[in-house]
Amino acid sequence: MQGPLLSIKNINKYYGDSHILKDVSLDINDGEFLTLLGPSGCGKTTLLRCIAGLENIQSGDILLKGRSIKNLAPNKRSVNTVFQNYALFPHMNVYDNVAYGPRIKKSFKGEALEEKVAQVLELVQMTGFEKRMPDQLSGGQMQRVAIARALINEPDILLLDEPLGALDLKLRKYMQTELAHLQKRAKTTFVYVTHDQEEALNMSDRIVVIHKGKILQQGSPREIYNNPSNLFVADFIGDRNILKVSIIDKDQKYFTIKVGNTTVKVRYSRSHTYESDQALLAVHMDKMKISCQNGANSIQGEVLSIHYAGSQVRTELSVGGEKFTVIEYQNNDCDYKIGDLVFISWEETGALILPMEDIEESES
Amino acid sequence: MKAKAKSLKKNAPAIPILVWIGFLVGVPLIFVVVLSFLSRDNLGNIVFKFSLDNYKRMFDPIYLRVFANSFLLAILTGFITLIIGYPVAYFTTRLKAKKRSFVTALIVLPFWVSSLLRTYGWVILLGKTGLINNVLVGLNIIDQPLNMMYKFSTTLIGTAYMLIPFMIIAVYNSVDKLDRSLLEASYDLGAGKWKTFFNITLPLTIPGISGGFTLVFIPSLGMFFVSDLLGGGRTVFLGNLINTQVTRGRNRPLAAAFSVGMIVLVVLVLLIYNRVTKNKGRELF
Repeated sequence: MQGPLLSIKNINKYYGDSHILKDVSLDINDGEFLTLLGPSGCGKTTLLRCIAGLENIQSGDILLKGRSIKNLAPNKRSVNTVFQNYALFPHMNVYDNVAYGPRIKKSFKGEALEEKVAQVLELVQMTGFEKRMPDQLSGGQMQRVAIARALINEPDILLLDEPLGALDLKLRKYMQTELAHLQKRAKTTFVYVTHDQEEALNMSDRIVVIHKGKILQQGSPREIYNNPSNLFVADFIGDRNILKVSIIDKDQKYFTIKVGNTTVKVRYSRSHTYESDQALLAVHMDKMKISCQNGANSIQGEVLSIHYAGSQVRTELSVGGEKFTVIEYQNNDCDYKIGDLVFISWEETGALILPMEDIEESES
Repeated sequence: MKAKAKSLKKNAPAIPILVWIGFLVGVPLIFVVVLSFLSRDNLGNIVFKFSLDNYKRMFDPIYLRVFANSFLLAILTGFITLIIGYPVAYFTTRLKAKKRSFVTALIVLPFWVSSLLRTYGWVILLGKTGLINNVLVGLNIIDQPLNMMYKFSTTLIGTAYMLIPFMIIAVYNSVDKLDRSLLEASYDLGAGKWKTFFNITLPLTIPGISGGFTLVFIPSLGMFFVSDLLGGGRTVFLGNLINTQVTRGRNRPLAAAFSVGMIVLVVLVLLIYNRVTKNKGRELF
C-alpha cells in the first residue's frame, strides 16, 4: 500500500470557545503501534474520538486509505475503539459482547460466527469465558474482552483510550507487554492514548507527544526519551532536573555553561537555535553520580535529604539555590550526609541544553 | 448481646418512622382485613359475626367482570403511558441541563393542581359541547358533535393522563443512568441509532420500564373519580365498586373484601416486578 494508512490533515476542534485541537496533522502507518501521549486535557482523547467519528471536526480532513472519512458516521468507519471503562454491554455475556459487531454487520453467521468469536477470544487468551457476564470478570479480563470485541470486526485501526488506566500497577505492567505482543499477533494498527510516559515508552513503535491541542514532537521512544525537542517534552518524559544556566562559551560540539558557581561543558543539539546567552540544562536524574572529590565536568551541591527506596537511593540537593534530584542504583563510595557539599557529574548522553525561549512557549 | 444493643442504637432513628407506618398503614390494613370477614345488618351497621359471604360474592360473574375491567384498564394504562412516556423521558435526558430541568418541571407541574379539577378539564375538552367539538363543528369539519364522553376509552385516556408523570420519571431515571459509552461502543461496532436503541438502550432500561409500569398499574386500579366523571359509570371498575358499596350500598364489609381482592392483585404485580428487576438487576450493576 502506498502512503500512510490514516492521514490527519490540519484538523481543528472546538468545544464552545475552547480550542481543543489546533491544526493537528498526523500520518499513521500500516501496522504500527502509535501512542498519543500527553497530560490530561491535552486533546489526545479528543483526537482519538475524532478518528473514531464520535466527535465532529470543524475543519481539516481525515483520510483512511486515501479516502475521506470526515463525514462518515462511526458505524460506517472501519476503525474500532476500546473504551477507557471498557463499555462492555452488561446485559450480554462475553460471547454476545464479542459477537455484537458481526451480528449487527451480518458479516458472520452460524458456525462461521462461532469460529470467529473463538478465534478472537483465543487471540486475547479468554477462551472458556464465553458464558460469563461482564460483572463476573476482573478488570484485566474485561479489558481483553473489550479488545476482542473491537478486533472481531477486523478494523483497519484499533483505537485504545487509556485502556490500562483502571487496572492496578502490577496488572498494568503485565498488560503493557501483553498489548504489545497482541498488536504484533493481530497485525493491526494500534493507536493508543495514554498520559503515562512509561506505558508509551514501553509499548510504542512511535510516540506522538501532544500538549494543549498541538503535536510537540513525534518519534521512536528512544528519540523522544533521549532527544526531546523542547522543554515540555524534556520535562514530561523521563525524570529530569531542569536548571536555568548561562552560556559562557560555544564551540563545535559543546557549550560551556555556568551552573551555580561551577562551569561545565555540555553537548548541544544542532536542531535548536540558541539566541540568548541563557539556556536550560536538562539532566536525567538517573544518569548522574555523586562523589566526594571534585572531578571533570562536575557541579557542586549541598545535600538536602536522602531517601532509600530498596535498590535505588534518591538524593535531593541544592545547586545554586535550585533543587536537584539524583537517583543512584549502586552503592555510592562517597558516604555523604545531609548538609555535606558534594560534587555531581553525569553521563554525556544524559544531559542536554534547551533554548530558553521554550519556557514562554510551553507556558503560553 | 452487645452487638444487639449496638444495632438497636443504630436503628433507633427508624423507630418513629416504623411506628408512623404501623399506625397509618398497618392498623387500617388490619381493620380492612377484619372487616372483610364480618357482615352487616339491613341498616348498614356492622355485625360482629364471622362470615365468608363477602368473598363468595366476589366470585359472582358480575363482580369478576369488574375485576377483569379494572385489570384491563390498568394494563392498557401501563402500555399507553409507556408508549407515550418512554420517548418523552428518552429525549428529556438528551437535553442540555437548563432545558432539561425546565421540561422536568413541566412534567411534574400538573401535580400542583387537584386531580379532580384536571379530570373536569377533560370533560370541558371532550364533552358534547366541549372545546374540541366546538372547534370542529365551528370549522365545519363535522356536522354533529363527536361522542367522545362516557366510554371505556375516555376513562382510559383520563387515567393514562393522570399517571403518565410516574412513567416518565421512572423511565427518565433509568435512561439517565445509562452509561453513554455503551451507546458509543454500539455505534463504534457498526450499529446505527435504531439497532443501538433496540439492542442496548431498551434492554438496559427494563428496570425503569417495569418500575414505571408498576407505579402506573397500581393506582389506576383505584382511581374511581376518573371513571365516574369521564366513564359515566357505564363500565364499572374496582374503585367505583368499592366506593359505591361504602357510600350508597352501605355495605362496608363487602367493600373491604373487594379491597382485599385489589390488594392481592397489586401484590401479584409487585411480585412480577420483583422478579423482573431481580433478574436484570444483577446483570445491570
